[in-house]
Amino acid sequence: MEVKVITESGDLASRIAQMFGNVIHQGHGSLALVFLIGIIFGGIIQYTRVDKFEKIAGFSMLKDTIVPKMLFLAVGLTSIALYFMIEAGWAHYHVKPIMWQGLVIGGTIFGISMAIMGKCPGTGPISIAEGRIDVLVGAIGGLFGGLLFTLYYDDFFKPLMGESLGKLTLPELFPGHEHLVVLIFGVVVTLIAILIPKVEMFDEADLCKLPDDQRPDKE
Amino acid sequence: MARLPWWTGGILMSGLLLLTFSIYGADRPIGASTYVPYFAGLLFDLDPEKYSYLKHIENPGAWEGILLLGALFGGFVTSVFITKSFRFSLIPTGWKKYKNNSVLSRLIWSFVSGFFMIIGARMAGGCTSGHFMSGMSQMAISSMIFGGVVLVSVIVTGRLFYNVKEK
Repeated sequence: MEVKVITESGDLASRIAQMFGNVIHQGHGSLALVFLIGIIFGGIIQYTRVDKFEKIAGFSMLKDTIVPKMLFLAVGLTSIALYFMIEAGWAHYHVKPIMWQGLVIGGTIFGISMAIMGKCPGTGPISIAEGRIDVLVGAIGGLFGGLLFTLYYDDFFKPLMGESLGKLTLPELFPGHEHLVVLIFGVVVTLIAILIPKVEMFDEADLCKLPDDQRPDKE
Repeated sequence: MARLPWWTGGILMSGLLLLTFSIYGADRPIGASTYVPYFAGLLFDLDPEKYSYLKHIENPGAWEGILLLGALFGGFVTSVFITKSFRFSLIPTGWKKYKNNSVLSRLIWSFVSGFFMIIGARMAGGCTSGHFMSGMSQMAISSMIFGGVVLVSVIVTGRLFYNVKEK
């Protein structure tokens, strides 16, 4: 259901109120559900500590592999279940288009930034919620990045991102063998998650408040 | 238990993705970078009629904005009550160990990388959540290209940017 929100010039508070109104009317879950999904999302990331600099920048130095292990496991399990949910009509595809220049240039810039900041846009806010001031400074930088992108989207970024070659998924490349492809993909990605050697970089400042028997580095 | 093992985290995250995708949940993927230009639009009072990108992201931006508020709340509560990791800090331990001891250096690099991270994510059309998790779960070719490029870029940067040998 498409609902157009009337844009009225007003103060920041009324613009934020519009954000709530938009989510209530756009038909992607109730406001409470979206907020709850956010709470669980933040809770899982915080509880596994994958938002830590030592986990993400640590992975860039190949001194910590918890992030890729968890990501690949989530993808492997979800891919199989989601495919059959879509076939049963319980979910829909929301595939992003192939835009070579946007994906390669954007992905490269994103990867460089992620290694340096040690956060990504999903884990960053959770680090801010646990008191990391340096990440708050990074988020302010991000707001200006978002501003620049919005201001020069039509003139600069859109042409730079290149032509869209449409939306394509792996099973579509193998007509007639879709189920087999889904199973192989899901199993292989799950196996990758399990087979990546577990390496961890621990942060004493993060663990010092825990009793000895609860510290993951003293198991 | 003060820390969740990676496999429990992976299984829970998979459950959350499926709930979000399902028509009984939100009937959409999880994303976490569209809210940034959306918030920039709110904050700097940009008119969506004038900037086509804001028009384009009006709905996903607002949706992710509410998700973000939930994530901030969930992250705060978990850090205070479960993982006992809430504390104010300006510089990560790992940065001190593998980069330098300068708070100013960390803050400047953080600002600059935050700035470019959002530009990169918006150019590619997604981030770790939207492309890597949600996109690869749908076996989208675009997300696999993004995932491959990011993995290489992250590891090359890690080699070049940090003093990988311990001080």
